[in-house]
Amino acid sequence: MISKLTRLAAEVYASRSVLGRLVRQQLILRYRRTVLGYLWTLVNPLLMMSVMAMVFATIFKEDVKVFAIFLFAGMIPWNCFNSIVVQSGGAFINNEGLIKKIYIPKILFPLSVSLGVFIDSILSFFALFAIILAVGGKVSTALFFVPVAYILLFLFSFGVGLVFSVATVFFRDLQYVIQIAMQGLFFLTPVLYKKDVLSGGVSNLVALNPVVPFIELFRAPLFQAKMPSDDVILHASLISIVSIILGLVVLLGQEKKVVFRL
Amino acid sequence: MSKIIVDKLSIKFRIYHDRSPSLKDYVANLFRGNRQSAYSDFWAVKDVSLEFNSGDRVGIVGHNGAGKSTLLKALCRVYESSDGRVTVDGRLAPLLEIGAGFHPEFTGRENIYLNGAILGYTDLQLRAIEPEVIAFAELEEFIDTPVKYYSTGMYMRLAFSLATAVHPDILVLDEIFAGGDAAFMARATTRMFEMIDRANIMIMVSHDHHLVKSLCNRVVWMDHGRVVLDGAPDVVIDQYLGLNTHAG
Repeated sequence: MISKLTRLAAEVYASRSVLGRLVRQQLILRYRRTVLGYLWTLVNPLLMMSVMAMVFATIFKEDVKVFAIFLFAGMIPWNCFNSIVVQSGGAFINNEGLIKKIYIPKILFPLSVSLGVFIDSILSFFALFAIILAVGGKVSTALFFVPVAYILLFLFSFGVGLVFSVATVFFRDLQYVIQIAMQGLFFLTPVLYKKDVLSGGVSNLVALNPVVPFIELFRAPLFQAKMPSDDVILHASLISIVSIILGLVVLLGQEKKVVFRL
Repeated sequence: MSKIIVDKLSIKFRIYHDRSPSLKDYVANLFRGNRQSAYSDFWAVKDVSLEFNSGDRVGIVGHNGAGKSTLLKALCRVYESSDGRVTVDGRLAPLLEIGAGFHPEFTGRENIYLNGAILGYTDLQLRAIEPEVIAFAELEEFIDTPVKYYSTGMYMRLAFSLATAVHPDILVLDEIFAGGDAAFMARATTRMFEMIDRANIMIMVSHDHHLVKSLCNRVVWMDHGRVVLDGAPDVVIDQYLGLNTHAG
C-alpha cells in the first residue's frame, strides 16, 4: 500500500502540467463567451444564497443580516463538498474518449475536477466574506483557522469523490442517485437550521451525518467568531483521514479495471 | 538504448450479453448467489511474448480483431495486462489516434498546450516547438480560433504537426495517418518517414503491406490474440497473404 502510494504521488508529480491544464480547462471553459466570464463563479452562489437568506430569514422570523451570515458560513463548505462529490461522479465517464486513447494517471481526472471546484470555492469564499463583513460580521483571530478547515474539507470531499468516480463507472445509475442523495443529505445537514433545533429520530440521523463537523468548522470562525471546539476538530480530522484512505484504496484497487468498463 | 519486453501478456475483455449491470442487478445477484454470469470473457491478446530492441522497425499484421491495436494500447499503458507484463525502457510516443486530447472549445494554441501536456511534453518544450507546429500546420491565421470551427483538414493538420513535433525514442503507430490536401499529405509523409527514421524503435500496425515491407525490418503476424509468426517482412507477409488467398 505504501509503495503504491509513493508511486501514485510520483506519477501525479510527473504529470503536474497535465493536471494544471485540466484544472484550467475546467475553470475557464464554463463561462467562455459570457459577458461576465469567470465572475459568474462568484456572482452565481452570491445571488443564490442571498435569495435563500431572504426567504428563510422570513420563514424562520430571523434577522436577515444575522441569518445571512449564519447561512453563508454553512453554505460555503456544503457547496464545496456537494460539487466535488457530484462532479467527481462523472470524472471518468466524461473523459472516456481520452482514457481509451492515451495513458494518463487515472487519479488526475477526479483530482482535477476536485481542485477546480476547490479553487472556485475559495474565490467565492472571499466574495461571501466581503458580504459577511458588509452586513456586520465579526472579525476575529479565529479566521486564521479557515485555511485548516478548507484542507480538512478538501481531504474529506476528495475521498468521497474518489469512491464515487470509480463506483459510477461500474454502476452508471449512481450518477443520478448521487444527485438525489445529496439533495436529501442537504436537509440532514444543519446548513439552513441550527443543529440543536432538532429532536427525536431526525436528530439521530443528523448525528450520523459525516458532513456536520465540517459545517461546524466553518461556522464557528465565521459566524460565532471563535475557534471550533477541539471535539469538532478531532472529529472532522478523523473523518477526513478515513475518507481519503478509503478513496485511495478504492482507486488503487480498481483503477486498472476502469478502462475496460467505460 | 531503448527496449521493450512483452512477457506472456494476456488482455481480457468482458463482454456483457445484454447490458452493463446496474446496482440493482448486482445486489440481486449477491443474494441469489447464482454464479451463472451475464457475461463471457474474451481474450483480445493471449499469452504474447515479444522483445523489441533498438533498431527494430516492427510491422504488425493480421485480420481485423486479431489483437493488433490492443497490443499497441497495452504497450502504451492504455490497457493494463490481465496477465503477464510489459516493460518499456525509453520515452514512448503513442500516436494511436491523433487529436485525442483536443478540446473543441479551446483555441488551436490552447490545444497545443493541453494536448502537448497529455502527450508528455514539458511546458518548456511546448514553448519551443509552438511556432514550428503552427507553421507546419499552416494555421497562423486561425491558431487563436476555437478548434470547433476548424475544418476536418485543419484539425488533422494541427493534430499531426503536434504529434510529430518531438522525436521520441519509441514510436508506436496505429495505421499511418495524415489528413489534409495533397500538398500537406506529401509534406506529412516526408515528416513521418523522418520521424520513423530517427526513432530508436518503431512499432506500427498497418493493412498496407507494401508500406510495411518498405518501412519495417521485422513483421509480427497476429491472429486471435496470439503471435502466429515473427520474422523477416517478406517471409511473414507472403505467408500471411498466402493463407488469405487460400482462405478466400
